[in-house]
Amino acid sequence: MARTHLISKTAIRIATLVLAAFTLLIAAGVVSAQESKVAPDAPTATLPLTSKSPEAQRLVIEAMRVDLDLVEQEQCDVMLRQAIKLDPDFAMAHELLAQNSLDPAEQVVENGKAWALRGHASPSERLLIEWWQDATDHKLISAITKMNDVLSQYPRDKWVVFMATNWLIAQTQFERAIAVYERSGITDSPGLLNNLGYTYAYMREFDKAFPLMDKYVAALPKDANPEDSYAEILRMAGSFTKSLDHYRAALAIDPQFYSSQFGIADTYSLMGDQVRARQEYEIAFQKFPLPELHLVQWQTREAETYIREGDLKGADHAFQSIADYAHSKHMSQVEADTYRQMAMYQPDPKQALEFISKAEAALKEGKNSMQAAIHQEQAQILRAHIEIALKTSNHQAVHTLLVRLSEMSATSNDHLIDSAYQGAAGAVAFSQHKYDEAISHLEEDKNNPLSLKLLAAAYQKIGYSAGAKRTSDTLANLNDASLEQAMVVPTFRKCYEDPSCSSNGVKPVSLKK
Amino acid sequence: MRHGRLLSVLLWAVVVPSLVQARQLALVADTGNATANVASTELVKIFNAHTRTWPDGRPITIVLRDPSSADMQLVLRKLFNMSPDQARSFIQAHKGAIVVADSDDAVIHFVSTTRGAVGVIDLYSLTKDVNVLKIDGKLPVEQGYLLRGN
Repeated sequence: MARTHLISKTAIRIATLVLAAFTLLIAAGVVSAQESKVAPDAPTATLPLTSKSPEAQRLVIEAMRVDLDLVEQEQCDVMLRQAIKLDPDFAMAHELLAQNSLDPAEQVVENGKAWALRGHASPSERLLIEWWQDATDHKLISAITKMNDVLSQYPRDKWVVFMATNWLIAQTQFERAIAVYERSGITDSPGLLNNLGYTYAYMREFDKAFPLMDKYVAALPKDANPEDSYAEILRMAGSFTKSLDHYRAALAIDPQFYSSQFGIADTYSLMGDQVRARQEYEIAFQKFPLPELHLVQWQTREAETYIREGDLKGADHAFQSIADYAHSKHMSQVEADTYRQMAMYQPDPKQALEFISKAEAALKEGKNSMQAAIHQEQAQILRAHIEIALKTSNHQAVHTLLVRLSEMSATSNDHLIDSAYQGAAGAVAFSQHKYDEAISHLEEDKNNPLSLKLLAAAYQKIGYSAGAKRTSDTLANLNDASLEQAMVVPTFRKCYEDPSCSSNGVKPVSLKK
Repeated sequence: MRHGRLLSVLLWAVVVPSLVQARQLALVADTGNATANVASTELVKIFNAHTRTWPDGRPITIVLRDPSSADMQLVLRKLFNMSPDQARSFIQAHKGAIVVADSDDAVIHFVSTTRGAVGVIDLYSLTKDVNVLKIDGKLPVEQGYLLRGN
């Protein structure tokens, strides 16, 4: 069952009318290009899926539905593997599995196969595969161009819109992701409602996120993920009790929806109840067999509970177990990242440097890791190393490492690598009391609580109180489960709520809920 | 749970809500334009209508978004050194040489169909219909690119 690309006479008529309107607007002095906006009755061209097996095509379409609307990644992957068995040359099935797999080794293998088999696919599918490959290879300009090319051909194809918005969110291009969604005119896709709700939540526009979550829940009342998403967004907004209610509602719908059990644990941790959080994590670990990457993800969250309560020995033990597990499974990048995180919270710089060395050694092995992930991890390790060198006032090391990171950033065109550089350069400039310079760098790394904290302080130092307050508000109200949040936010929040505290030069102002 | 691609090294990274998103703009020209790089000093002259032709003699037409739009704040500061109101008057005084478009798509459409046109768009609006011009030898994704920042 091939998905067809339809071109109708209506579309040609619309294009003609728009061209006429365009000419008139030029005459009026304002140039418009409304032909690129999708009319409500525009043809619904869909991305073709090229396979010699109709059953494989059906499986991929169903896998995408399960993935998009229900966020059942494992179930989706099972179907994609079945499709590939039926048609080993099905390039898009390989590409989707490469993107969706929860096994790093499978990601690497499937990525290679999708690229090698792209000649079996239609031009549109090839374009999409090349877009993702360019993104992986840090060719950002080419990736953007190809994404927009695919979008211009299939502006109302929900899978294309889903992939584009997902990628844009990963690039922190939230406004653009919303524009792609709105332009699509799609209002009946539960999965896209979910994505859009998260996008508004990332922008802290919860008044727009919650109604979307209401719609998502109403669209799929018998599925667990809508309740799970609602819970996570409520938690991001600081509504912990309501968040727990929605996680429990998700589990009532589907007791096997393990994300919600872990969500309960994450929420208790963010609420400050680390003992209860660990109890909930243990219930989940005992109850659910997990794919590799989800196992590591939530083991890491559990390890963060020790950071939140200041038990660094407990944290060391938990993180070391994860590193050992990753090593035993030959997941080099995961192992390296775990050691990097251990380095980040060590109070003793000597100990921290030992973990940096371990991270570098693990990364050098490079097993089952995409090249892009290795480069990104290298940048993260360099950044952590610079932070440690700053603590010890090792100016020579700071300079050398920053030059290396700068060169990586200059040659990579990678958003994550550049953010690592900007965060490190900002921290260095801040330490040298060059606050304007620090701000220009730190503003480029707003995804990192470490940088946000310095940014608030730098704004305060130059007398930009409004910026300091806005940044401090964001940081104090940050409720996302991550090591950086665990390291920065609880302490910052305490100080922020205490009028007598002026840590890091940030003038205390009232906490805005 | 939101679906996310898990290839990234930052498996556990948060997406922190943005305060003010840093702008990443791109200078674009029609695909027939032989110029690949413009010095920032020259670009300022072009945008201030002191330089009116490309090296091959083709007339330059500048196409911009509305001066009060968020993206244009950076352009006004870096290239015009004007307030939005001053820029509007300037554009009014240079009709024909400077054109205002109501969207990035319109900028791209105008640039791609007008020989000698040059425009500024959000990097993520880029399509194959136009060429990205370097500024001082740098692409928009590179450190120190002129049209990047808040």
